[in-house]
Amino acid sequence: MYREIYPQVYEVNILDAKDEELIRISEEMGLALNLEEMKKIKVYFAKKGRNPTDIELQSIAQAWSEHCCYKSSKCYLREFLFGIERDYVISAIKEDAGVVEFDENYAYVVALESHNHPSAIEPYGGAATGIGGILRDVLCMGAQPIALVDPLFFGNLDVKELPKGVKHPLYLLYGVVAGIRDYGNRVGIPTVGGMVFFDESYITNCLVNVGCVGIVRKDRIVHSRVGNVGDIFVLVGGATGRDGIHGVTFASKELSEKSEEERGAVQLGNPIMKEPLIHACLEVVEKGLITGMKDLGGGGLSCVISEMSYASNCGAEVYLDKVHLKEEGMAPWEIYISESQERMMLTVRPEHVDDVLDVFKKWDVPAVVVGKAIEEKVVRVYWRGKKIYELDLDFLLGAVEYCRPYRVRRVERIDETSKPSDFKSVLIKMLEHPNVASKEWIVRQYDHEVRACTILKPLQGRINRETHGDCAVLKPTDSWRGLAITTDVNPWMTKIDPFWGTASSFDEMIRNLIAVNSIPHSFADCLNFGNPEKPERMGDFVQCVRALGWMARGFGLPCVSGNVSFYNETPYGCVAPTPTLMGIGIVEDVRRVVSSNFKGKGEIVLVGETLKEFGGSLFCKVTGQKSTVVPKTSPKRLKKYANAMLQAFKEFKVYSCHDLAEGGLAIALAEMCIGNCGCRVDLSCLKGEDYVKLFSESNTRWLVEVENGEDFVKFMRERGVSAYLVGEVGGDEIVIKDVLRVSVDEVERAWRRGLAKFTG
Amino acid sequence: MELEEIRVAVLRIEGTNCEEETVKAFKNLGVNAEAVHLKQFYSDTIKESEQRSLFDYHCLVIPGGFSAGDYVRAGAILSARLKSVLRRDLEIFIREGYPVLGICNGFQVLVELGALPGFDEDKPISEKPQMALTVNESARFECRPSLLKHENKCVFTNLLDLGRIVMFPVAHAEGRVVFPNDEVLDRLVENRQIVFRYVDEEGKYAGYPWNPNGSVFNIAGICNVKGNVFGLMPHPERVFWGYQQGRDDVYGDGAIVFKSVIDYLKKNF
Repeated sequence: MYREIYPQVYEVNILDAKDEELIRISEEMGLALNLEEMKKIKVYFAKKGRNPTDIELQSIAQAWSEHCCYKSSKCYLREFLFGIERDYVISAIKEDAGVVEFDENYAYVVALESHNHPSAIEPYGGAATGIGGILRDVLCMGAQPIALVDPLFFGNLDVKELPKGVKHPLYLLYGVVAGIRDYGNRVGIPTVGGMVFFDESYITNCLVNVGCVGIVRKDRIVHSRVGNVGDIFVLVGGATGRDGIHGVTFASKELSEKSEEERGAVQLGNPIMKEPLIHACLEVVEKGLITGMKDLGGGGLSCVISEMSYASNCGAEVYLDKVHLKEEGMAPWEIYISESQERMMLTVRPEHVDDVLDVFKKWDVPAVVVGKAIEEKVVRVYWRGKKIYELDLDFLLGAVEYCRPYRVRRVERIDETSKPSDFKSVLIKMLEHPNVASKEWIVRQYDHEVRACTILKPLQGRINRETHGDCAVLKPTDSWRGLAITTDVNPWMTKIDPFWGTASSFDEMIRNLIAVNSIPHSFADCLNFGNPEKPERMGDFVQCVRALGWMARGFGLPCVSGNVSFYNETPYGCVAPTPTLMGIGIVEDVRRVVSSNFKGKGEIVLVGETLKEFGGSLFCKVTGQKSTVVPKTSPKRLKKYANAMLQAFKEFKVYSCHDLAEGGLAIALAEMCIGNCGCRVDLSCLKGEDYVKLFSESNTRWLVEVENGEDFVKFMRERGVSAYLVGEVGGDEIVIKDVLRVSVDEVERAWRRGLAKFTG
Repeated sequence: MELEEIRVAVLRIEGTNCEEETVKAFKNLGVNAEAVHLKQFYSDTIKESEQRSLFDYHCLVIPGGFSAGDYVRAGAILSARLKSVLRRDLEIFIREGYPVLGICNGFQVLVELGALPGFDEDKPISEKPQMALTVNESARFECRPSLLKHENKCVFTNLLDLGRIVMFPVAHAEGRVVFPNDEVLDRLVENRQIVFRYVDEEGKYAGYPWNPNGSVFNIAGICNVKGNVFGLMPHPERVFWGYQQGRDDVYGDGAIVFKSVIDYLKKNF
């Protein structure tokens, strides 16, 4: 079936292969292609009248992997989510990162990705290279990366029994945090935010999502495509090795207890190559020496060359033996699909090649000419003078897409909640829950201030007694304008009700952006789901995308970048639907940002309506009570509230503001008090039962500390927005009249030990 | 020397990563400052227009970061490279009274190099390191605000009153000052070389987290005996502006370090 035609190049006989042989070839070569796809390849080569080489088959497998071509998700993303037009969006979805206008002269760049499969097997290397990859996605638009965020999802830390071959969530947490820390800190880009969520559904598949924001002068934006026919491909950065072979096909199937054997699919990172690589790439951008740039990620050279050419309607010639290697003896197919880190592909006009090579030499970063753009829409690869690969780009990149069948589950909305016997013990349990408890152990290991642009930090308030903030705010240029960044999703809610859970996650993202006094501007999504070949998983996916589209369109918030990660499942179970969102807000003046801790000066106003909505709530989690009533929301209403809040920030001196999320009003109050500033609250002006007022997680609500609460309430009500003066800041206790009384000290201790008791 | 004559070099190699904000801080105060790659001092592969000599500058700063990756002892590789290509120049530079600043990784480099504690004025770079900045007591990277009490002046803190408390953030995994014996500490105290010590909100010497790394004697920053070489773990360049500390003032706590050295250069050269 395989015949060596040149040294290390095999011809694969598929023309004579029967169905079962086709499947065997796919398996033996690690292609992860199904029978239909193999047959399609057979038809293509039958027309050409020849058999494919191994490098051609491997290249097709990369291009057709779920990871690279979004074959299962594209049609639903297009139907529901894409095409929310705003005139300030410069480039959305089409490239590795979204590009959005920041001000007259600058644009910001947004990217969000998953690095789930590698991290589940090798948490340290997987997470580190996740950072490396997202930095390249931003860099390849010509932008200086300025901030990283990391939403992470693990199994419960107190898990008693682990399925075979599964790593303990605490081990994964340690490894992932260390990977992010060692890569992010070394490369000198601040890690300013993220989230950490624990749930049993992540026990066999932890999720590691990474986001990055960059800044670029508008006249220096570079695109991920060839500039002109005749341009030279220059490969820059680290050498190519056997690490990271089959990373994308590995990521496009379910993990199993045997996945450990595929450790080789995890790449190795080298931040100290990346740091000068960033400088050198930005220098050639600044000097106007390049016509296109794209990072080498999934699928390696194979994907980068074909995609850059295809995007410009041309083709390429590749001289594979020019690629600098980490080790001798690599077969051509390995070189062509290796996902070794810290590499970028540039296209350069022939007359600028020497100048480009000079810049890289100065930074001690290897750079070599590896190919040329040609007019025909074909990629040809040469190896020691022999042509070993010739594929039409229309076939390679335009061939597969599925509108997979899906089944939407019915969610019956049932509420069986009741008043708890002891409010205080519920509150303490909530504060101690690792999803709410202080993330200081993680946050402090990340340098969140390098580059000196982080204005509002992830931990806010009194020194060494800081509390969690809603967003990080950065000041990327010399102007006072800033960017607010948040990441949000509530998997407990999406697990019960994918539609309303996703809508709630969107609502939370907007709330966080508003809370720091920023104007919601754009967002990116990273959609983590199970096996799309199962209709019920696909049903969850479709519901999430539908909700996201409905909220985003109604609110007028463009989705500028995103990533879909399927197959986050094993025979033991599947992750909760996890549509991670990264919201970006524009801060008009960074001196007017609002932080979350009480300043001890004012009255407390609750903005928004509280209903009995406990589906996926922290209250149900800690009390064991049952509800499937996931909070609802509406984009129009959210928009009205958001606008009123932003107006109020202009009219009033707002000392602090915090959104209401997990644990509702009680947890929001407690978090604002951390750092030893108490409050006295009277909720009798609200309707409903006390436990609902305190713990329900209804959307579109904030707590605000202002000098004159009554004026603030009046202002909001005039705009048709519900607001209630509920108390004042002061003392060293949290007092909820007739319901609850607890010292801030006790609250803070519970909140600080929740995660620390596991991490040390 | 006039303000606009002053030239500051902020050293960079692969992995140094705080040079941009450090350069910006100096530039804002009206002096010439640039990030200079170590290669520019010695390599003949560098274009002539980009070649530099240490004596083109009046102040050298080794910025924060992870020089060469810091995969071995922090600062060890950069200090070894400095020693091999710039040692003689550096010794003259320091002897002549030109200021040298090491922030975070830069402090580690100066210690590894033997330029700090720098007891011998005539031989400003010792043969062997005389102290170490070792792994934090918490065994973790620590990024947090730290409060520093100004105990003794050096050329980088001349304008700051003694006893004043400032907030500079720290971000490091290896910042714990340790000495081979008590004698080194005694000499530092005697010579008034301890510039900053970690304190709590009330200005008292306190343990973790106020002392974020467990440094002996709460030491955050020291200078050489002459006072013109200064190293500290906290990052003054990250609180150069008031807005970086959430304050309305134009300048933040860290600006005083940059202002002081400029003042020193203006008066003394």
